[in-house]
Amino acid sequence: MVRGREGRRLDTLQTVELAEGMEVHLRMAGPFLRFMAFLLDILIKIAGFFLLAMIIGFGSMALGGNVAMGIYELLAFLLLWFYPVLFEISRWGATPGKKIVGVQVVNEAGGAITIGQAMIRNFIRSIEIMLPLLPMVAFFNPRFQRLGDLAAGTLVVYSRERHDPISGVPPTMKSSIPVNIALTREERASMIAFRYRSANWSEARRAELANHLSPVTGQSGPKAVNSLVGMAQWLEEDS
Amino acid sequence: MNRQDFERKKGNDWNSFEMRVKGMESSGLSVEPEKIPGMFRQICHDLSLAQYRMYGSRICDRLNALSVRGYRLINQSKGGFGEGVIRFTVDTFPKALRSEWKLFVVSSLAFWIPFFLMWWSAHQEIAWVQALLGPEGMSSIEGMYGKDADTLEFVRSEHGSNFRMFAHYIMNNVGIDFRLFASGVLWGIGTLFFLVFNGLNIGAVVGYVDYAGDPEKLWTFVAGHSSFELLGMIVVGMAGLKMGFALLAPGEFSRAQAISRAGRQGLPLLIGGACMTALAAVVEGFWSAQPVGKEIKYAVGITFWILHLIYFVFVGRRFRGA
Repeated sequence: MVRGREGRRLDTLQTVELAEGMEVHLRMAGPFLRFMAFLLDILIKIAGFFLLAMIIGFGSMALGGNVAMGIYELLAFLLLWFYPVLFEISRWGATPGKKIVGVQVVNEAGGAITIGQAMIRNFIRSIEIMLPLLPMVAFFNPRFQRLGDLAAGTLVVYSRERHDPISGVPPTMKSSIPVNIALTREERASMIAFRYRSANWSEARRAELANHLSPVTGQSGPKAVNSLVGMAQWLEEDS
Repeated sequence: MNRQDFERKKGNDWNSFEMRVKGMESSGLSVEPEKIPGMFRQICHDLSLAQYRMYGSRICDRLNALSVRGYRLINQSKGGFGEGVIRFTVDTFPKALRSEWKLFVVSSLAFWIPFFLMWWSAHQEIAWVQALLGPEGMSSIEGMYGKDADTLEFVRSEHGSNFRMFAHYIMNNVGIDFRLFASGVLWGIGTLFFLVFNGLNIGAVVGYVDYAGDPEKLWTFVAGHSSFELLGMIVVGMAGLKMGFALLAPGEFSRAQAISRAGRQGLPLLIGGACMTALAAVVEGFWSAQPVGKEIKYAVGITFWILHLIYFVFVGRRFRGA
């Protein structure tokens, strides 16, 4: 995976250096996915309120109306304010809605968040909902943080592994072609990546990309594709 | 070593690490959990190697995901809850209050100035108070604190009504606290607005009871919980104002960094203030409407104010020689 140089990046990966002395990449979840999770959570909360009202409705016969109403209000308070907080500090690191769409809340190093961070980011949401312009802040932030995330120092990332559209079994040539020029690590890696990815592209696209290496392969068009794949095979298996 | 050899040699380790992590994530159990940190370091090493040698996104993504999950698993804090509560109460919270004393002044003034203005105006010209409360507000105040209203002791004599009011105050007042904090992200304007608005409203109620009701009913009721409730609101207001000021004047930080610092530094104020408001709900629900003499109610109220003063000023200080 080639790390971007300084400046604008095309992907949403964020590089974090951990104390273990290595770098990991966190994949930021975009506003659309997060909005979906938000809607799901609203539905779940509404269902929760209905369930609560039903249980309390039956309970009021045993407990008396006042006590039942009191318990209802306390539980409604918890559901309203602490539903996201408790789920986000749980082992899931995500509310049920986020869990379903496959994202989770992490701190800036990718670790679990504290209850304080969860409170800050979720309480601030109550204001962001009232003024729908505020969540738009997320569009102007490279890590898609809304105001609550900024104040709490949290990120929302994909919790699932990425599934790159590459074929597991690359095209195999009968004979691989030796490469007799010195390559940098990046050049070598992109040639190998070409072999794995090219199966998913159209013929014309493959040729277009392979033509860039005409000086190395000495060919153009479909023939260049074949020799490039052959070279990649040599690099990976025989060198 | 090329990619295939690397994968063949390490694949089993990765699988067994993933199995253990999965077990810990789902149930907190795993075979030989003591091996996880060592395996985690090996995974980190493999990831660095795979990244450097550019073994391609399939391996790198897999190792990356394993590293992130392992990091999450290892770096979780499980402090003792009871110890945390005590330390917060006798140390973190009162210290945060004192170090932010300027915010306390601002937050207090934002509440008390409108409060006294409104109260004073009721004795000069009642129209302001009437306009603010509206007919519904006035009739509900007359129902509670009017000269011929039923006493609260009577209203609360129904079974369970104390508990119900307690729950209602939690839902309502602590919820208001959370919004008060959150609206600090609007450059503090939201917090300031809520503080001023509450000051005007409560001042108007006091003024209107002076004008048309029985002040003794009001004061005996609010004496007990007033210190918790008003100071709690002011303290939460401090946390909101802190974020607001951080956005207005971020100083040497970017605005994003400033609000992040302010949010976390204000956290003890938010939690502490919300706890004070919750205590106010306990007092308001179970004590304030008890049928006891007015002298006792006033004495309890004044005692709580003095205890708050002592708590704010002295708790958590280290005295030299002590």
